[in-house]
Amino acid sequence: MSLEISTEERDRGGAGTPLLEARTLTKHFPLGRGAVVRAVDGVDFQVLKGETLGVVGESGCGKSTTARVVMQLILQDKGEMLFDGEAVGSAALSLKEYRRQAQMVFQDSYASLNPRLTIEDSIAFGPTVHGVPKSGAILRARDLLARVGLDPARFAARYPHELSGGQRQRVNIARALALGPRLVILDEAVSALDKSVEAQVLNLLMDLREEFGLTYIFISHDLNVVRFISDRVMVMYLGEVVEIGPVDELYDDPRHPYTRALLSAMPSMDPDNRTMEAPLAGDPPNPINPPEGCRFHPRCPQAQTVCAKVKPVLTRTGAGARLAACHMEIAGSGHSRALGLEDAA
Amino acid sequence: MSAATTDAIPVAITQPLRSPGYWAGVFKRFKRDKVAVGAGLVVLAIILMAVFADYIAPADPTRSSMLRRLRPIGTPGYPLGADELGRDMLSRLIHGARLSLFMGVVPVFIAFAVGSVIGVSAGFFGGKYNTVTMRTVDIFYAFPSVLLAIALSGALGAGVFNSLLSLTIVFIPPIARIAESVTTQVRSMDYVEAARASGAGPGTIIRVHVLGNVLGPIFVYATSLISVSMILASGLSFLGLGTKPPTPEWGLMLNTLRTAIYVQPWVAALPGAAIFITSISFNLLSDGLRSAMDVKG
Amino acid sequence: MNPASTSTLLVAMENVTVRFRGAQNVHAVNGVSLTLEPGKVLGILGESGSGKSVTLKTLLRLLPESRTDIGGTVIVDGRDVLALGPQELADYRGRATSMIFQDPMLALDPVYTIGEQIAEAIVRHEKISRKAAMQRALELLQLVRIPSPERRLKAYPHEMSGGMRQRAMIALALAARPKLLLADEPTTALDATVQIQILLLLRQLQRDLGMGVIFVTHDIGVAVEVSDRLAVMYAGQIVETGTVRELISDPQHPYTRGLLAANLHGAKKGERLEAIPGAPPALNEPPSSCSFAPRCKHAEDRCRTGLPPAIVLGEGRIVRCTRAEAELAPA
Repeated sequence: MSLEISTEERDRGGAGTPLLEARTLTKHFPLGRGAVVRAVDGVDFQVLKGETLGVVGESGCGKSTTARVVMQLILQDKGEMLFDGEAVGSAALSLKEYRRQAQMVFQDSYASLNPRLTIEDSIAFGPTVHGVPKSGAILRARDLLARVGLDPARFAARYPHELSGGQRQRVNIARALALGPRLVILDEAVSALDKSVEAQVLNLLMDLREEFGLTYIFISHDLNVVRFISDRVMVMYLGEVVEIGPVDELYDDPRHPYTRALLSAMPSMDPDNRTMEAPLAGDPPNPINPPEGCRFHPRCPQAQTVCAKVKPVLTRTGAGARLAACHMEIAGSGHSRALGLEDAA
Repeated sequence: MSAATTDAIPVAITQPLRSPGYWAGVFKRFKRDKVAVGAGLVVLAIILMAVFADYIAPADPTRSSMLRRLRPIGTPGYPLGADELGRDMLSRLIHGARLSLFMGVVPVFIAFAVGSVIGVSAGFFGGKYNTVTMRTVDIFYAFPSVLLAIALSGALGAGVFNSLLSLTIVFIPPIARIAESVTTQVRSMDYVEAARASGAGPGTIIRVHVLGNVLGPIFVYATSLISVSMILASGLSFLGLGTKPPTPEWGLMLNTLRTAIYVQPWVAALPGAAIFITSISFNLLSDGLRSAMDVKG
Repeated sequence: MNPASTSTLLVAMENVTVRFRGAQNVHAVNGVSLTLEPGKVLGILGESGSGKSVTLKTLLRLLPESRTDIGGTVIVDGRDVLALGPQELADYRGRATSMIFQDPMLALDPVYTIGEQIAEAIVRHEKISRKAAMQRALELLQLVRIPSPERRLKAYPHEMSGGMRQRAMIALALAARPKLLLADEPTTALDATVQIQILLLLRQLQRDLGMGVIFVTHDIGVAVEVSDRLAVMYAGQIVETGTVRELISDPQHPYTRGLLAANLHGAKKGERLEAIPGAPPALNEPPSSCSFAPRCKHAEDRCRTGLPPAIVLGEGRIVRCTRAEAELAPA
């Protein structure tokens, strides 16, 4: 089949090149009367080959919009994306070709399958778009069904409403894999499932990652799941990245006050050590006309004057490859807890 | 993927179990709805009556007799009485079904085709194209349908073809609006997003993912318009803008018999009853279809 | 349960069954017995279709009576809930027992202000003036710590943020000072930092007002934060009960263990999860054997042929699993 190309052959940039590099991605939605939803506002990140990048944040933080921009379902207002060193949408990597290499699984397993198509037709749709003959695409669909743990003889000709939520999400994963992608974006892909089924699907995702050499962007509000499956984690707040870094380092020693708040808002699993105080008051604000300076400063317990005036940039911090956008981590920022310039040197 | 892993997969050689398709499920649910099935049978009977009118009708619907004017129901030889010109009511009602059904179904059918194209394209492409198309449609929609039909027929002149044309124009806007709103809903579904993410173009997406999910609801809405179309066509005939006498047509019959309302009220009411029964049957049928097409049940 | 202690209990459900009639019958609850002492919090933990919400609704008789068969006895605060007449039921709802939901829009009426709704709920149960009721409504909004409560009294539900609506719904539920509060996944739709605020609020209100609370959730972490005792439900039955500490540190039923593992708290990175295979059973028939047996790796022949025994391991510590018998053997 024409889509069967090994990962090695397709690896153009070499192991050192990130698979995906997003540079100042920006997407604003005008609401009229001057109001603008700054859904994604200058987001920079890299996804390394073979890694899983977890993305966390609360409603309105822009994680789902980021996913749709990365998938190019929504086009960014500003910024660019490099896929394996090539600009997405350039002559070297057309949008159609990029879409063969990057795929997405959505949260709502029912809404993401056409109710009028059988399971195998839904999975075979992508390959036929890319010129694979229908019969070959159907064979491939059944093959993928078997790989995601659904017996093709029982499920291939069924319709979505005849399947359970967990089974439908397996179908969606098979559909995403039908084009042989290298990058799969999982947008709250296991969030709607019951816990016992979620564990099965997580196991499947780990197996597939190994088998096909996949790279994941894993978006979730469940911090336990993100910690379990990710290599690196990106924390978003009001359309911006506030912290990004290796998962254990970030969970064990969060540097941005918002990351700290998010982690300490996780319910305790120890009945003798219940949470005694909520880390933040009120609801997350919406991204319409967000505050100046650091967007977190109105809710931040450590905010000082500089935070309201100057926007902190992502700065290297901690032991390894971690970045945080907080004045307390920027030497000479003017925040009393920040290192002085001379201390940093 | 290497050849080795490909070997390991138990690819199904045998045809997988075919589960009953979508339409089989619709039919099964429809069959359970007694009212809708009854309405469907009535509609079928009226259609058969119209098709085989020449064989069923006991008498010539145009043969008049000045001696037997306005006979009551049950007169020997005139089971449903006779009209103001002494013509057999039963035969006229049977023959009248032809034109009334024709005027009910054909404008709606053409409007379904045209309105769907307008509405689906506007809904799918959205943006400025949607705004321009749908505001144009709204201009027509702003007129009450009866007034619009009368105005158009009046401008075009009397006659079957002209009233057909004006009714078609009347029904395009509502169908286009329904088509647009259903398509807008489907367009935002994740499976359409997923299809776009697979690199499919708009033509393929409309064909594979949109049409199958929107035509059903639009069609059901259109069937509910058949009764409106029949009543409007009858109204046009009643006003003298549609069918010309002596052709039997229910609306026209209602018009000519109105003078007899005090003499033979039951006979005068018969064409109205025929219109009523037919249109309510079409409505119940489309109601039944709508609930049968609701998946998730 | 001995009769003497029953009278001091706030809630006593005994062998409750709920069956929905339809083209296919659904046996949603199959022999649930549970008790709650006044001023305590019971967490009911289960997945979708486990019958946890149906159990909760039975306590308020919220299920559609025309197509529901309810068996067993339900005693709340000394009243036989299943035998209440229409007038008594209206008095019971809100006054003795009230409920909060996942979606506050279900409980709040979009066309009245928050203040009007709370005052209306107070006036329905107490003979006080409208003005005094409004004053009480204001106190309730202060109690649930809604910022600038005077202004919020005149606000409509859609003018509030998600967390604030949840607080308003809690204020409404507390309007007639119920002895029992039923909570049906009230924090599931909320963001993490808001969820913990609402959980802490509920915990504090429960303590301050001395209410009994039954808190239904699918999230173990949430259950641990608010509950004194836990009941784990599967396929319409309680498979394990005990204190939070007992269930978290020493789960006995294989399903409870699976759920705990699936929570991923402290799961080893990169290792496969010990996932429970398969899916919960359809409940078209009442269970005649262990409902979990088809998914259980320890299942034996006797699990598939008969109902598992309810093994009492201690005061209020009950496990419905044959394997728990081993725990009874002297160590």
